[in-house]
This record gives sequence, C-alpha cells and structure tokens, in this order.
Amino acid sequence: MRLTIQMLISHGRVARKMGLGPESRINMLRNILTGLVRHERIETTRGRADEVRFYAEKLIDYAKKGDTDEKAMKMANFWLTEKDLIPKLFKVLAPRFETQPKAYTRMARIPNRENLDKAAMAVLEYKGNPFPPLQTAKRDNELTLINQLLKGYREQRAQQAAGTHWWVVL
Amino acid sequence: MACRTICQLLQRRLASSATSVRLSAAEVRGRRSAVFSREQARQRSLYPRTEKIEVTLQIPGLQGTLLVMNKGLSTPHSCARHLTEWYVTSSALALVDGKPWSLHQPLTQSCSLSLLTFKDTDPLLVNQAYWRSCAALLGQVLLDAFKEDFSVELLRLPEVLVTSGAFCCDVVLDPQLDAWNPSEESLRSLTRGAQQLIHRDLPWEPLEVAPPVALEVFSHSRCKQEEVEEKSAQSPKGTVILYRCGDHVLLSGGPLVARTGLCSQYEVTAIHPLGEGKWGLHRRAQGLSLPLQQQAHHTVWRKLRSRAEKLVRKYYSSQF
Repeated sequence: MRLTIQMLISHGRVARKMGLGPESRINMLRNILTGLVRHERIETTRGRADEVRFYAEKLIDYAKKGDTDEKAMKMANFWLTEKDLIPKLFKVLAPRFETQPKAYTRMARIPNRENLDKAAMAVLEYKGNPFPPLQTAKRDNELTLINQLLKGYREQRAQQAAGTHWWVVL
Repeated sequence: MACRTICQLLQRRLASSATSVRLSAAEVRGRRSAVFSREQARQRSLYPRTEKIEVTLQIPGLQGTLLVMNKGLSTPHSCARHLTEWYVTSSALALVDGKPWSLHQPLTQSCSLSLLTFKDTDPLLVNQAYWRSCAALLGQVLLDAFKEDFSVELLRLPEVLVTSGAFCCDVVLDPQLDAWNPSEESLRSLTRGAQQLIHRDLPWEPLEVAPPVALEVFSHSRCKQEEVEEKSAQSPKGTVILYRCGDHVLLSGGPLVARTGLCSQYEVTAIHPLGEGKWGLHRRAQGLSLPLQQQAHHTVWRKLRSRAEKLVRKYYSSQF
C-alpha cells in the first residue's frame, strides 16, 4: 500500500488496538469476559473495560436465546474459557436480564493504578450483582422548601386522580 | 375684629381631631417608622457602656468557638460577619439557646448560637419563617400598590403550611374597589413591585416592644390594634415583636428571615375574595416564592405556580 502521512494520523478511527494483533485482542477480551462472568464485578484498564462491554452485552443477548439454541451454545463455548461458567450464563445471568432489553453492564471510573504505568482504571459489573452499589444516587433532603412544595403538589395530584377533594381546616 | 374671632372659632370647631383626619398612606407609614426608630434608639440607649457577652457557636465544624460580643448591640448577623462571607449570605435564621431568633435582633446575654440555612438536615423552622416573610413582603407590596385615594388595610397574616403550596396575606381594600377583580396585568405589576423590594435587599429589623408603644405605632388602624392586644395576651412576656422593612412596620406571628434579598423567584399568583367580614370585603392574596439557594427549573416552577393560584384554606396553629 501507499505509505502516506495519513496512515500515521489516526483521526476518526474508532477501532482500538490491544495486545499483539487482532487475534491477541480477541483472546484478551475473552479472558476478561470470563472473569466478568465468574465474578460479576471486575477491575481493569479503561480501554479494556470499554471494549469488553460490547461483548458482554452481546453474550447476554445470545444467552437469552436459551441453551438449546445451537448458535448460542457455540458462542458461549467460544467466549467462556472456563467451561463451568456456561451453565451459570444460561441459568443465572440470562433469566436475570429477561425484562431488560439492553444495558446489562455498568462501568465506573476509578483512580489510576498505583504502579509505574499509572493506568486509568475502571470497574465493570453486571447489573443486579450481589455486591454493595458502586455509586449511590444522591437524594436531596426531603424537608427542604422546594421538596416540601413538590410533596404537596404530588399529594394534591394524587387526590385529584383519586377523585376526592377535601379541605381540612384545623 | 369680630369677624376674625368668629373665623377662629369656626376653625377650632370645624378642625377635626387627629384620629379622624384622613392621613395619606405615606404619612401613616412615615409616622409608624418614626415611632419605631424612636423606640429603637431608646432601647439602644439602655446600654450606655459597652458590656461584653460570650457567645458560643454551635455550627457544624465550629462547635464550641467562643465569640466575645457587645451586649444589646451585637446581633447573630454580626457574629456571622466574624466568620466568613458564606455564613452571612446563607444564614436565614438563628437559634439562640434553642429558641428561634431573628438575625438582626440584638443579643442581651451570654448564650449559645447556631445559624440556620435552607439546606440543613432539618429546615422546618427556616421554611416556616421564610413563608411568613414572603407573606409580609406581599402585604407590603399591596400597601404600596394602590393609589392614595384607596385605603388598604392589612389583616392578620394567616399561618399557612408550606405544603399547602402558597403563602397568603389577608387584606381589606377600599369599599370603592369591592367590584374590582385583579387581572393578569395587575398581578404581574404586583410581582414587579415585590421584585423591586427583593432587589433592594432590605433587612427585616425586629424590635421587641411593650404593648403601649405598639398601640401607638398602629394608632391609625383599629384592626392592627386588636391584633397587638391579642398577641401581647398570648406572649409569655407580654411584649410584641414588630418588624420594619424599608419604612413599613408590620406585625408577624413569628420570626422572619434576615433580608428580602434571600428570595429569588417570587410571584404573586392570585387574589381571592373571601366574603364579607368584620372590616369589609376580606380578600386573600396568594403568592409563591423560592429562596436563592433553592431555585427551581422553569418547568417545575410553572407546575407549582399553577397550584399556587388555587385558594388555600389549610391553617396551622403556630406556637410562636
């Protein structure tokens, strides 16, 4: 091919390179994915966690087809290097996400690794895992002025919806 | 000569007494403010020598800090000024020895002080004080809004719960305005008046007075005098607390917040007629407001506002 300057500049290229080549990349992702299915929450570098997310969700989509499906079983067999996790995938993870159409994983960024490389790290987890939550949603105090007004508003709407009006004069 | 004496006699006979002369609203306001200032100066002169008191702070992060302040002169506001600017701008109310205390009321003895904001874990007192202050502001706006020919009489400010959706101010207008109903434009001009007061950032100065002084302040308003008598009967010390904002003096059922600048979103939503009462046609003016630290998105504000237009009837028996 023509050796152009364009080849050295990677503007707009979304495909990541990992490891020694494309095959090495798939093998690495396979290992990470196996770890994710086993432990349901893992800690890796940000780029790898982001890559694995796509494959983790696709694997769940295949698992939802059921273990009698030929293609699903082949996929599970390929992607899970530890074969005792195949029953876990079909019997535990797939039923968990039956009602959800997509978004089975959650990624949260964490401080950089302490090693010399200072790699940017992330935590990747399947939703519904038994561990304590990573980030709790911060709720504003229920008793603040605006929340009290909204509470009164909601109560009035509920009363109107129920069809009863009463005004209490104390 | 005889003509002159006859004229003088006629003048004396026809000159009406002070109470029945129809004073303009501005003059009444000026007089009330003058009596208030006089009483304030008198109370300050009770402490001719500067005596020191010790104020212990009970603020998260500054527990047990001791401030040495002046007796009868220092207020919780001045204590906050010794800390940082954030305390000055965010504190709405103070708790002195556990009792609610206005930020501009002087401290008279060594005590423990805590400053309350809108974002505390338990802002119930602050919310109620804010609601009362907004109602007082509405009353002030109504007094200023009408022309000199029409008399406006403020009745007792009803204690309304925050969850009811709007603060209320009961008012009796001139009998000539009995058939008047406010239009959108008039409500908007009232809102403009309130916004101007908020922009001027006037402090609500409290003053604890004996009933005779309060009766003198409200000498031109019979219903206010009745309210003064009721309040002095209810209070444990027999005194009445007056609040001055700008040059309006008013009575309130409890402590008010520090200054008008704490409100940010403020709208007068409706004026409902309540029917014939003791002093004429009673009307209830309602409004909605949110403080500077708790502003609402315009979608939320619109929903709350549409609720605030409905007549509020829920009362709350205040223990303040």
